[in-house]
Amino acid sequence: MMNKKNSKLILEEYENKFLYEKSKTNLNIEFNRIAFIFFVFTMISIIFSIQLFHLGSLKKENEAKPLIVKKNYRADVIDRNGNYLVKSVSSIDIGISPIDVIDKKRLLINLKWIFPKKNYTEIKKKLNKNKFFKFEKNISQINYEKIMSLGDKAIRPEEKLTRLYPQKNLFSHIIGQIDDDNNGISGIEKSFDKELKSSTEPLSLTVDTDIQFLIREELVRFHSIFRSKGSVAILMNVNNGEIISMVSYPDFDLNKRETLEDLNFINRASKGVYELGSVFKTFTIAAGLEAGLIEVDTEFLNLEKKLKCGKNTIGEYNNEIPSNLTVEQILIRSGNIGSVRIGQKLEIDKLKSFLNKIGILKKINFDIEEVGKPIPFRWGKCKLATVSFGHGITTTPLQLAKGYAIVTNGGFDIIPSLIKKNLDLTQNKKRIIKEGISKKINPILRKIVTKKEGTAGLANIEGYEIGGKTGTAQKTITGGYSRAKVNTFVAVFPISKPKYVMVVLLDEPKTSGDYIYEYRNQKGSYKGTPYNTAGWTSVEVAGKIIEKIGPILATKYIEN
Amino acid sequence: MKKVALLIIFVLILVTSLVKNSTKEIEDKIFVLNESIRFLKVEFSDTMLEYNFLSSPDKLVQYQSQYFEKDLIKIDIMKIKKISEVNKIIEISDFVKKINDE
Repeated sequence: MMNKKNSKLILEEYENKFLYEKSKTNLNIEFNRIAFIFFVFTMISIIFSIQLFHLGSLKKENEAKPLIVKKNYRADVIDRNGNYLVKSVSSIDIGISPIDVIDKKRLLINLKWIFPKKNYTEIKKKLNKNKFFKFEKNISQINYEKIMSLGDKAIRPEEKLTRLYPQKNLFSHIIGQIDDDNNGISGIEKSFDKELKSSTEPLSLTVDTDIQFLIREELVRFHSIFRSKGSVAILMNVNNGEIISMVSYPDFDLNKRETLEDLNFINRASKGVYELGSVFKTFTIAAGLEAGLIEVDTEFLNLEKKLKCGKNTIGEYNNEIPSNLTVEQILIRSGNIGSVRIGQKLEIDKLKSFLNKIGILKKINFDIEEVGKPIPFRWGKCKLATVSFGHGITTTPLQLAKGYAIVTNGGFDIIPSLIKKNLDLTQNKKRIIKEGISKKINPILRKIVTKKEGTAGLANIEGYEIGGKTGTAQKTITGGYSRAKVNTFVAVFPISKPKYVMVVLLDEPKTSGDYIYEYRNQKGSYKGTPYNTAGWTSVEVAGKIIEKIGPILATKYIEN
Repeated sequence: MKKVALLIIFVLILVTSLVKNSTKEIEDKIFVLNESIRFLKVEFSDTMLEYNFLSSPDKLVQYQSQYFEKDLIKIDIMKIKKISEVNKIIEISDFVKKINDE
C-alpha cells in the first residue's frame, strides 16, 4: 500500500512539466525549452549571416580561380598581332541507331532527299547490321534542321568541337594537334591543354604570322635549291627570349588531321639534336674571355695544321689559314687548331661550366613538349679539344639561339618562349656572364660577315648590321661520321645593339649547279655552289630571309 | 502600437517587392544584353576568322601575283625615310644611317 502511495507522489512532482489543461491541444510546453530552441536557431542564423557578409566582402582578386575544364570547349590561339592561328567552331555529327528505326524504307527515302550524293547501298547494309554508325560529319545548319524535322528517334545528333587552322601549314609544329576527344596530343595544344579547355580568353603567342610566312617561303624555296632533307629557322628577341618565328620544314597542314609517322616531319627546331660545328667556337672564345685567360688580341703563335688526339686527327678546314693568329682572327677565319688551343687553356671545368650556364648541355624547358635532349658524353682531353671547335657535342637549334642571345645581349639570361607574357624588359634581368663579353664578341661576329676572310659574306645585307657565325658539321652515324652535312648560320642583328638572333640550319643540303649567288661584299655574281659549306648555303638563306623580313622588323617593332 | 508595427511590416513588404521587381527587370535587361553581346562576339570572331583567312600572307601573295605583280615591290630599307618634327620644322632623314664598318 505504502509503495503505491509513493509512486503517486512522484507523478505529482513532474506535474509542472507536462500539464494537461483544458486548452485546445491540451498541451503546454515549458517556456525555457522554446527559448532554448529559439536561441539555437538565432545563433545558427547569425553564424550564417556573418559567413554571408564575409563571403560578400571578399575582393575579387583574392578569390582563387579554379581551372574549370569545360566539355566541348577549347580556347582559340592568336599570334602577337591578334590574328587567329587556331579557331574553335562547334559542329554537329549525325549518327543513326538502327535498333530505333521504325520504318527503314521511309527513313532511307527521307535521307536520300536531304543527302542525295551519299552511297545508300552502304548505308542500307549498315542499317541492317543493327549497330550504331556515323551518318554524316560536320553537318550544315540547313541540313541539320532538315534532318531533325524528320522527327525520327533513330537520328542522333552529336555536338562536336572542330579546330580550324586558317594559316594551314604555317604553325603546324608550334600548335600541334588534338585527338577526337578534345585532348591535345602535341605542341601547344598538348602543353597548354588544361588552360585551353578552361580559359575564356584566347591564348596569345609571341609569333608573327607575316614573318613566319616570309621565312617559311624562303626555306621552301631553298629546300628545292639545295635539296636538303629538312631545314630550320628560328627568329628570337635576344633581350626577352620571345620567339617571333620558328619554322621547321617539312611541315604539314593541320586541317587535314593526318597521323604522321615519318620521322622527317619532327620539329627540328626544338626536337632535333645536332652536332653543329664551328658555331660553338664563339662559346669557346666567350668562355676564355669570361675566365680572363684570353683577350681579343691575344696571339697564338706557331699553330699546327694538324693535331693528333688518340686515334683522331684534328685539322683545319682550309690549309691556307696562317700559323699565327689572334683570338679575333681565330673566330673570323674559323680556325680549328686555334680554338683547340683556347679550349686547352680553359680546361674542362671552365668550358663545361660556361656551356652549362648558357643552357647548351642540358634539356631545355620550353613551352612545347617536343624538345630534344643533347647527347651526354664523358669529358676527357680529346673531348675538350673537339668540343672547343664544336665537334663531339650536340644540342638543339633552339638552345643554340639561346646561347647566342646570352653571349650577345650583354650576358643576361633569357628563357625562349612562345607565350606572350607582356614582360617588362627592365625587370627580372639576371646577368649570368660578365658585362664586357658581348662588347668584345659582337664586333668579331660583325667582321665574320664584312671581312673578306670571314665565312659569312653573303649575309652582309645593307642596313641591318648583321653579325654571325657559320658552322659546317658532318652528320654522325654509328661509329663515325657520314658524308651528309648539317650547315648552320647564326645571325645577330643589329650587332651594335643586338635585338634579334636568327638560326638557319639546313639538314643534309647538297650543292646546286644552277643557283646564282649575288655577292654582297663585292660586285658580281657566281653560278653554282662551289662548296657544300654553311657559308655557301645557310648564310645565303639567312641573307635572303633578312632581306625580306628586315623592313617589317625595323618598322613594325621599332617601339618594342 | 500594434497598428504601427503592422504598418511597418506592410511598408517593408511593399518596398521589398518593389526592389525585387526592379532587380528582376534589371536582371532581365542584363540577360538580354549578355545574349546580344554573346551573339555579336560569335559574329565578330567569325568575321575575324574570315578576315584573317582572306588577308593571310598566303592569300595576299596570291592576290599580288593575280592583280599587282608590277605594282607591289620589295622594300629596300635604305630607301625608307623618317619624318620628324623639330621646333615646328619637319625634317626628313634616312631611316637607317649608313655605317662604314666594312
